[in-house]
Amino acid sequence: MFVTDIRKDFYEKVLHKRVLVLVSFDVDAICACKILKALFHCDSVQYTLVPVAGKMDWERVFSEHAEQLEFVVMINCGATLDILETLQPEENVTFFVCDSHRPMDLVNVYNDTQVKLLMSPEESIPKYEDIFRDDESDDEDDIGNDSDGSEPNGKRRRFDEDVLERRMERRRKRREWDGHRHQLLFDYEEFSGYGQSAAMIMYDLAWKMSKDTNDLLWWAIVGLTDQLLSKKIDRETYVLEATELNRHVARHNHRGDEEEDSVSINSMRISFTSELQLALYRHWSLFESLRHSSYTACNLKLWTLKGFKKLHEFLADMGVPLSECKQKFSAMDMGLKDNVTDWLVTSARKFGLEQITLSSFHAQYGFKNKFCAFDVAYGVNALLESVETEKSQEGYFLEALDCLSRSNIDKLAHGLELSKRQFRATVNTVQSLLDMTQVISAGSFLYAFIQEGTPDTRYFARPNCLGMLARFTLEAYVKMSKNRKARTLPLVMTAPLNLETGTLLVVGIPPLPELEQSSKNFFGRAFEQAGKKTSSRILHDNFDSSVIEMKNEDRSKFFDALISLLT
Amino acid sequence: MFGEKVLELVQELQRSRDGTMLPFNEDGVRKVLEEMKALYDQNQADVVSTREEGQSGLFSGVQLRHTCLERNQRCLLAYLHNRLAIIRNMRWEFGSVLPADVKQNLSDQEFQWFTKYNKSLASYMRSLGTGGLDLTQDRKPPKSLYIEVRCLVDHGEFETEDGTIIVLKKNSQHFLQRSQCEHLIRQGVLEHILS
Repeated sequence: MFVTDIRKDFYEKVLHKRVLVLVSFDVDAICACKILKALFHCDSVQYTLVPVAGKMDWERVFSEHAEQLEFVVMINCGATLDILETLQPEENVTFFVCDSHRPMDLVNVYNDTQVKLLMSPEESIPKYEDIFRDDESDDEDDIGNDSDGSEPNGKRRRFDEDVLERRMERRRKRREWDGHRHQLLFDYEEFSGYGQSAAMIMYDLAWKMSKDTNDLLWWAIVGLTDQLLSKKIDRETYVLEATELNRHVARHNHRGDEEEDSVSINSMRISFTSELQLALYRHWSLFESLRHSSYTACNLKLWTLKGFKKLHEFLADMGVPLSECKQKFSAMDMGLKDNVTDWLVTSARKFGLEQITLSSFHAQYGFKNKFCAFDVAYGVNALLESVETEKSQEGYFLEALDCLSRSNIDKLAHGLELSKRQFRATVNTVQSLLDMTQVISAGSFLYAFIQEGTPDTRYFARPNCLGMLARFTLEAYVKMSKNRKARTLPLVMTAPLNLETGTLLVVGIPPLPELEQSSKNFFGRAFEQAGKKTSSRILHDNFDSSVIEMKNEDRSKFFDALISLLT
Repeated sequence: MFGEKVLELVQELQRSRDGTMLPFNEDGVRKVLEEMKALYDQNQADVVSTREEGQSGLFSGVQLRHTCLERNQRCLLAYLHNRLAIIRNMRWEFGSVLPADVKQNLSDQEFQWFTKYNKSLASYMRSLGTGGLDLTQDRKPPKSLYIEVRCLVDHGEFETEDGTIIVLKKNSQHFLQRSQCEHLIRQGVLEHILS
């Protein structure tokens, strides 16, 4: 059931109790968890926090920690699964689910006692009467009538006909209802998508309790930004939510303009500005950033010689010397640095890059540390999906959790470095995929395989990074392709996951977001059905239904089935 | 002669400033005491001869030796006192039982002092409040009763004082009462997270 008053029905329930918090591996969840942790610290709520990577992990962790627990909070995991069925909890356990994955499982939605959903109700959810039937005793009265045979024959026959008619009628209704239910469920579960960011919901809670600070606000911003960067929400929703957050930003950072009123430089200040959609340019060089950002790279078609020349033309138009562009942004000439954003925007307009700016937030503390929400989201994500092997995956989750604190800026800096490596790998791979024409159209969708043994494959054994590559590839392919139909096609991409066990990671992404059915993704169900048809060994472990793992050998038959299914 | 031996003792003390306990330098102390005895004897002899024979030229020598004696005394006391201070700190850090390697390095008298100190500290702590108070637990006032800890190894189940069971698995994070997880932090099972 949906929680209407998040403060009364959730927070005050868990106050002074022990709580198990399960957090999935994404930036939004980490931000939400940071906010919740801060609240729990205020009120001394004892908790145990465990990261969960996938569904199997989720079940394992719950069964390990289930003893003596009454309250479980799940962040970005669990809403799409039937919690009670899968976890088999004791009756006194209450689950609070804050999950941005959609569609939610309907049993969770209509369970009044044990499952509480911390999100706003949606219209698309089918009504209770249409899905569940309370009256199990349908046919019983008929049987009761059958047994008494004391009436005369003629009467009996008429009565029988009556009963028969009634029964037929009832069965017909039942069939109709079943068909209707099936249709409703199919419509409801056909597409997977995303709802409001978990970090925003948690911030909302903090705000309602008047415990929000600039730090919490910053985490909410990063959570929201991550949703945009991984294309979980479209631009419009982002702008809407960002405007909402801007009110909080204004409230927290409102100081008079006079010098003596301004806060100390060491405290955190957040400002709302329009920001270039260039990845990490403050921490990189302008040239590299232009090359590796999907928006500029795809629109300037940097994969061709012509495109590369165009980039130089673009820089010439801006009037910034090449030597300045290629050195670190922070080391650029002060006079240039102050104006470069304006010049970039003006030149970008000439080159048809109208959407290069997007409203975003900056945080500044101290003289040295100025971060843009985009860059932080990239950095945290890169730490989370780090391919270094000195720590386990959970270890990197905790690194990512740490790097959001203000005292751990060095960790964030490391994350930004990792993120640069990810971008380089992504751009190189896109280049080679396009050069070798390895993006293949199967009629109703596109697909691309990343071969084993290419240098950067290890980066793409992580779902978010593979998703980023897939979106980059799709955008580049659409821009390069002469085929107009390519714009409307979704893309499936595979990358080797584990060489020893011979598994692949498969991710499906919807068509480009300029189109209407943007954030809707039908690959979850398609993968499931294709897997069932060919009895391929696939594993639906990720909380995103459009990300699966598959055995290497099953790839060709799986894709054959997928092609026949989608045409 | 003239305070060189005692300087060695003081230097030794200086070298163990990081809190390590060097063995009690019995030999050095004995040598200093011998030196002091020799100085005293000579002074005594000179004073006697001055009184009997009326020679006033020996006074400056007596003066010098006397200063040496006083210096030696002061340095010896400093040596002993600072060693006791180290032992006292160790009582607060390690508790009532000293590690074996430290114990070896104590002299008999020092060990006696340690047991006495132990006893008086224990009786004082017992007399505080209703059921006694462990003063060694929190030497600086803690910022909060609860702290955030991260599990570094698979430790298994851990029962807190109120009877709840917490599973300590590697890479899980917990928010627990400071007093209950302090010893686990010392053992290296948990890591205290500051942020």
